[in-house]
Amino acid sequence: MVTEIAEQYLKIIYNLTEEGGVAKTSDIAKAMDVAPASATEMMQKLAKQGHVKHEKYHGANLTPKGLKIARQVTRKHRLLERFLNDLCGIRGRARHAQACKMEHVLTDEAERQLCRMLNRPSECPHGKLIPKCDRGIACEKCTNETVLLLDLGEGDVGTVSHLTSNDRDELCRILAMGFVPGSEVKVEKKVPMGGPIIVSLKGTKIALAREIGGVLHMVRA
Amino acid sequence: MEIALAGNPNVGKSVVFSKLTGVGVISSNYPGTTVEFFEGKAKFMGSTITVIDIPGTYSLAGNTDDERVATNLLFERRPDTIIAVLDSTRLERNLVLLFELIESGYHVIAALNMYDAMRKTGRDVDVTRLERILMIPVIPTVATKGEGIDSLLFTSVQLRGRSKFKVRYDSHIEEMVRELSGMLKEEDWSMPLRAVSLRLLTGDPRVVERAAPEAVKASESMREQFVHQHGEDIVVHIERDRFGEAGRIASDVVGESAGRKKEEGLISDLTLRPVTGIPILVAVLAAVFLVLVFVGGWIEGALVGAYTDALRGPFEDFKDGLSSGLAKGVAEGIYLSVEAMLALVIPYILVFYLMLAVLEDTGYLVRVVSLLDGVMHRLGLHGRAIIPMVVGFGCNVPAILATRAMGSKRERLILATLITMAVPCSAQTAIIIGTVGNYAGVTWALSIYLILGATLVFLGFVMHRTIKFEPTGLFVEIPDLRTPSASETLRKTSIRIKEFLTIAFPLLLVGSIVLEMLMAEGALQRLIEPSEGFMIVVLGLPGVTVVALVFGILRKEMALQMLMVLFGTSNLALHLTPEQMFTFALVMAVFMPCLAAWAVMLKEFGLKSTLLVTAGSISLAMVMGAASHLFLSL
Repeated sequence: MVTEIAEQYLKIIYNLTEEGGVAKTSDIAKAMDVAPASATEMMQKLAKQGHVKHEKYHGANLTPKGLKIARQVTRKHRLLERFLNDLCGIRGRARHAQACKMEHVLTDEAERQLCRMLNRPSECPHGKLIPKCDRGIACEKCTNETVLLLDLGEGDVGTVSHLTSNDRDELCRILAMGFVPGSEVKVEKKVPMGGPIIVSLKGTKIALAREIGGVLHMVRA
Repeated sequence: MEIALAGNPNVGKSVVFSKLTGVGVISSNYPGTTVEFFEGKAKFMGSTITVIDIPGTYSLAGNTDDERVATNLLFERRPDTIIAVLDSTRLERNLVLLFELIESGYHVIAALNMYDAMRKTGRDVDVTRLERILMIPVIPTVATKGEGIDSLLFTSVQLRGRSKFKVRYDSHIEEMVRELSGMLKEEDWSMPLRAVSLRLLTGDPRVVERAAPEAVKASESMREQFVHQHGEDIVVHIERDRFGEAGRIASDVVGESAGRKKEEGLISDLTLRPVTGIPILVAVLAAVFLVLVFVGGWIEGALVGAYTDALRGPFEDFKDGLSSGLAKGVAEGIYLSVEAMLALVIPYILVFYLMLAVLEDTGYLVRVVSLLDGVMHRLGLHGRAIIPMVVGFGCNVPAILATRAMGSKRERLILATLITMAVPCSAQTAIIIGTVGNYAGVTWALSIYLILGATLVFLGFVMHRTIKFEPTGLFVEIPDLRTPSASETLRKTSIRIKEFLTIAFPLLLVGSIVLEMLMAEGALQRLIEPSEGFMIVVLGLPGVTVVALVFGILRKEMALQMLMVLFGTSNLALHLTPEQMFTFALVMAVFMPCLAAWAVMLKEFGLKSTLLVTAGSISLAMVMGAASHLFLSL
């Protein structure tokens, strides 16, 4: 786990080095609104943790490890700016300040949903590129990237996305067992010869017929 | 005063129930269903309290048999207090039913059962905090050890009250609930308008049919509007919000865990994997079968011996004292029926029921069901059909009763028919071994079993095709394997035995007396003489064998003795050729079940189905007998 302040620094370095080059300590200090000495101290700390490469009087560069975190935080920040701008109609400095706070508490799952909700934007309101997520799924596929529980393999984990059934009783039965959107399901075993699928849901094992596995649409974890 | 116990399946609810009520429990089938519920009495400070054990259910909105019975019971009886029995280790899902109970305006208290199992995983529940959130009394219990039961009873009598706790739904849903509540009248309903409105929104038929038409119409258009806006049924969102709330509360009150719930043991995994699960299953079934034959047989021998030693002498004296032959016949009938009871009921059924209860309580049965579900579906049956079939090898009576575990009546009927026709009970096995096995050789005896096996598959397939229905898809929770509690096992067994004694025994007695009366007057022989020709021509058997066949209706194993009596020798080979024995044994194996099995079928399925099955089994037996005669005389 990285602290909020470290995340903040990594994001700043990412912003400064986005178009190439290194991030000068003075620029970092200015962006963070701290004294250069404090910025230097933080750089040394981050270098020790392996997040940045830091050369005195020259500047800092992100290591692959640091880059990963920085990209994710930047992504959340820019998505949030889009959200505050497009959906809440907030403009100006207030928008940036709020996004800066929210980015640290937003979970990865919420980030993914937000991205879909905003129709997978590629740029933030300032016109900067929103870093792509590292899930390795093409964006066009991302919205309908659900599979039936039936089609998951043994050992696969997924989250319930939605249910399709016209039978109210069946729907109620499945929901009451806890298969509600957002719940995590692991396929433990698929009993051969047309047998049921055995899944675990919140520590409970449940055997369900294959037909029911066709009602549940899942997002792979 | 009335208290009801409600909860999810597998939370130890019935153990709480038996600890509260002790002995003297009445089990009843809810009218129009096969769903059982129990009722008992508890004593509290001099007053008697009725306790109802409501079938385990996951929600009050569902429409399976169990859920309907649960909801109807709660609705009709309006118990003064409901004890919601919760599994502490699965608090999250268990809370959802509790929410529904509170929402429906009942006085609810919660029992946090299996509290010891919770502690064992290194976690703890902040009970005070849970009480504050839910605004109801919460009592940790360990029902198997009787812990917390007294305070549960005390609290449910003294501290009940209505909770003000509410699940907060999606703002759109809340708005709809407000609007609908305005259209309803408080005095029309026995539950809060919030609950009525929510049920209207989910389209609960029980509420829809009683509500004012304009409210129903409004709720329907709201539902449609919701689907339109959210792209999903409103039921999904309501349940999602409930589980969301439950998840928040559970993580709030459950102390930091020392790790996630312990992974299940190796055995549990092995029973579910076909490669290992099927050998384990075969071993378990073989063990059940062997215990049934040996322990059952041993008890039978001991009991019949003791019975004869103690009563044969006095009975003969008593019989000699009777003047008319008819009275003698009646006396003989009673004497034999009681003996049949001792030989049939006590040993086999008791032993079987004990084993069944153990298999059920350990949670093994559910695993077998999951393992075999796919294969059994091709015969139009559930995986759970395997259990009654195995039981049928011992005695058909408990096997037919065991079909209760099946979902629908049709599945039960298919299964019961298969069992009576194609699964030879221990008495039928005795005939097969005693005739064919002894005189014609093992190969012939084995071939009878093979023919029966083929008949089973064929019949299952045909019935599945003709009786049109889809077996309901399997959807069950697989509980952790656990050690069964002795008191639970005994309670279940005694209830089932009591059922058998009150249903089958009186019929066995009456039938036996009638048959004895006919025998005593020689009327039986005269009655069945005309059919002797049929036996000779169609089955190629000596005419007298028909007596053994009819006698077999009363008690199958008596048919063999009867045959020996009729021929006047115990060496059957003098009178029957191996081919004839084969035909005779085959006919006996498929032939109508004994009177006791018939009585149970009558009770479980009604007259029409029973007569159909009876006629079917007799015709099938005759057709197969005739075919074997034809084939063997070629």
